[in-house]
Amino acid sequence: MRNAQRYSFIPIDVALGEASFRPYLPLTLIYQQSSAIASGLLDTGARVNVLPYPVGVELGYVWEQQTTALSLTGNLAQYEARVAVLQAVVGQFEPIQLVFAWTQATNVPLILGQVNFFMEFDVCFYRSHLQFEISPKSVASE
Amino acid sequence: MVSAELISTLRELSRADKFYIMQVLISELAQQETDLIKPDQSYPVWSPYDAVEAADTMLKVLQAAKTQDHA
Repeated sequence: MRNAQRYSFIPIDVALGEASFRPYLPLTLIYQQSSAIASGLLDTGARVNVLPYPVGVELGYVWEQQTTALSLTGNLAQYEARVAVLQAVVGQFEPIQLVFAWTQATNVPLILGQVNFFMEFDVCFYRSHLQFEISPKSVASE
Repeated sequence: MVSAELISTLRELSRADKFYIMQVLISELAQQETDLIKPDQSYPVWSPYDAVEAADTMLKVLQAAKTQDHA
């Protein structure tokens, strides 16, 4: 991939050995004057991006002011969720707008899913090498 | 830690024995991977893999935000 940046998989629990490695992407989230450094799980099976409640609060979001409610699925179905649109900076790439389902769940990872992270970035996984490459979507695919 | 003595011993093995050792180790690793999932325990899967309506709503809000930015 052109202009790709390469990252390593991160071990979550050393006791689990190689099975514990996950593709976490470091990124900076920006909302108005606030920013937060986060680590997002690249989840190609996730339909949407998910923002954990504490990260949203750190960015200055107020739950009552985010009025568009969402219904999530799976384990997240038991928690209320609302839409949050923010800026994200990945590596040296230009900032992009990401839309998140801001959930009231606190112990969920920050998930980067199809809407709209994988609509903005091309990602190539090299799981056997515990690495992945990422680059902004090419103009031709727009 | 793997000792230098062990590595030295392994290097002295015949080709067939090296393959045998390799098979034993791979088999053990595969078994350990299976053992990671314990019975009678729950493993949360946070992935919202089928949140179709949420995805549709989010795309509309995103589009509205982009339109507002360009206005």
